[in-house]
Amino acid sequence: MNTVHVAAGGLLSALGDGDALWSALLEGRSGLRPGLPFGTEKYVSDVGGWVEGLESPGQARTEVLLRRLFAGYLDVSADTLLLTASTKADIGRLEEHVREGGEELSRALGHAPAALLQKMLSLESPQHRHINAACASGTIALAIAAAMIADGEADSVLVCAFDVMSEFVFSGFSALKALSPDPARPFDRERGGLSLGEAGAYALLKSERRLRDEGGRSLGGIVGWGIASDANHITAPSREGTGLIAAVEQALARACIPAGDVAAIHAHGTGTVYNDAMELTAFRSLFGRIPPLHSIKGATGHTMGAAGVVETLVALKSLETGCIPPTVGLCVPDEAAGGCVSNVAQNFLGDCMLTTNSGFGGTNAALVLRRGV
Amino acid sequence: MNACILGIGWITVDGLGTGRGGEAFRLTCGSLPSLKRTLFFDDPHPRFGRLDPYTKLGLGAVSLALRDAGLDQWSEKRPFGLVAATETGCMGTDLAYFKTVVPDGGSMASPNLFAYTLPGCMLGEASIHYGLTGPAFVVSSACGDRLDGVRSALDLLRWGFCDTVVAGWCDPYVAADACAGEATPGAVFLVLRSAPDGPVSAENGQIRWGGEPVADISAFAESARMRPSNRCSVIGV
Repeated sequence: MNTVHVAAGGLLSALGDGDALWSALLEGRSGLRPGLPFGTEKYVSDVGGWVEGLESPGQARTEVLLRRLFAGYLDVSADTLLLTASTKADIGRLEEHVREGGEELSRALGHAPAALLQKMLSLESPQHRHINAACASGTIALAIAAAMIADGEADSVLVCAFDVMSEFVFSGFSALKALSPDPARPFDRERGGLSLGEAGAYALLKSERRLRDEGGRSLGGIVGWGIASDANHITAPSREGTGLIAAVEQALARACIPAGDVAAIHAHGTGTVYNDAMELTAFRSLFGRIPPLHSIKGATGHTMGAAGVVETLVALKSLETGCIPPTVGLCVPDEAAGGCVSNVAQNFLGDCMLTTNSGFGGTNAALVLRRGV
Repeated sequence: MNACILGIGWITVDGLGTGRGGEAFRLTCGSLPSLKRTLFFDDPHPRFGRLDPYTKLGLGAVSLALRDAGLDQWSEKRPFGLVAATETGCMGTDLAYFKTVVPDGGSMASPNLFAYTLPGCMLGEASIHYGLTGPAFVVSSACGDRLDGVRSALDLLRWGFCDTVVAGWCDPYVAADACAGEATPGAVFLVLRSAPDGPVSAENGQIRWGGEPVADISAFAESARMRPSNRCSVIGV
């Protein structure tokens, strides 16, 4: 099996790029605020993690996000495979289409972002794939990319995950009564739902040989991955966390490490009552005493399909610094969290972190990351 | 990695079919048949009537494939994977949902429709109904051969995620700007299992049957339908 390195990564979130996000997280700042790009009078919340300056006449929000995301990074080899991930891709175009009375379906409504990326980055490979697995989309795309490199099928894969703030998604979560009226408070005893966010993020994965030949540095390694379904409910997680447990067990087995080697966890931590309870149940079952754990969704909002890549990059920074940031929004931890989650930064010793995401349809994905492979 | 076929089921404009049923497989232009619960399930499926067209179509074709494989009955959950390729996915549901949002500032937004505006929820319905706990995701691509689901299934088998995958393609709608040869709605799913001497393989992304390149999902389904001798035994499931 080839070693899988994350050779480069970048993100754009409500709290800025990767460095700005990291600083904000350490300071306990949240990017959740009013001012969403649509009216919120009829919804249960008026806050979200929106990115400044994505409105541009004649350009879809997704396109502006992706152009800004890659504005400072276009140095990717033409033979790199592209994997994209998103829940609703170019949803702004579909909204506009409906508002204008459009009835017919168009390929352009679904595939424009990937085509834009392929062209913008001058990628030659025709084997582009777009992964949709709800809020685990980005994580699953990373798992697939890692498996491709480990297996020798590819030696350079770019994973780009993105989702923008839209009335489409905001209204849906509001109707499902899953939105928190106030900024989300993951793992808090009084948590009342999620806050939505938007983000774009990329991770360039390379094999050891490719990294060495090109003289690059490694941000860290992806050493384990797992994907499993609950087969339980469309919008609610399994209360026992069976799918998440299975995904983490697969990831640990691939990484060839015992559960005790996981030094910290970047949890999905949406802030909904059921998701956070499910995660704590699963982690308790897997680890006994849960390692230091945090969620960034009280700061960025739930960035949906982008969450997996954003959170992997944050976890790699945690491994580099030996510190997980505070869980922004946390006041009084859920009893089941039992000291593992905190509203101040937590230092940890160890080389491996776990990051997980789950989504509608009962999907779960887990990655084991290693510092400085 | 090679794989064999345990079963195949499809829904096209011409009707429903399974490998063992002997029906012809053909993708043509037109409207898909009306899908009723009794076509797929002996037992009540309380939500089927309320599912969106994409989920009904995908769940129906997965049901036919599992029935063809003799795997539609179960008592313990099974770690089978589920992968679907699609071009337009649940876009029709997206349009229908957003039409409930626009009129009154979102106050009439339908939570039931919203839950099916993710293409992966079709796979979620199949995983719940048939107790399938392996990896599940949708692969979408424009102007392809509709084989990305099968391609991803072979990847999952090769990489050891699971040893059985229900994979295929599902598109209930035809886009106004569809590529040539893609103006045919339908769904076809196959149950694939790892088998060193199985007829299905992939080389540099090219799907092969018995070593010969397969052009698209239509040719693949026809190969799977016509050659039952290449199927693997269900013994040991």
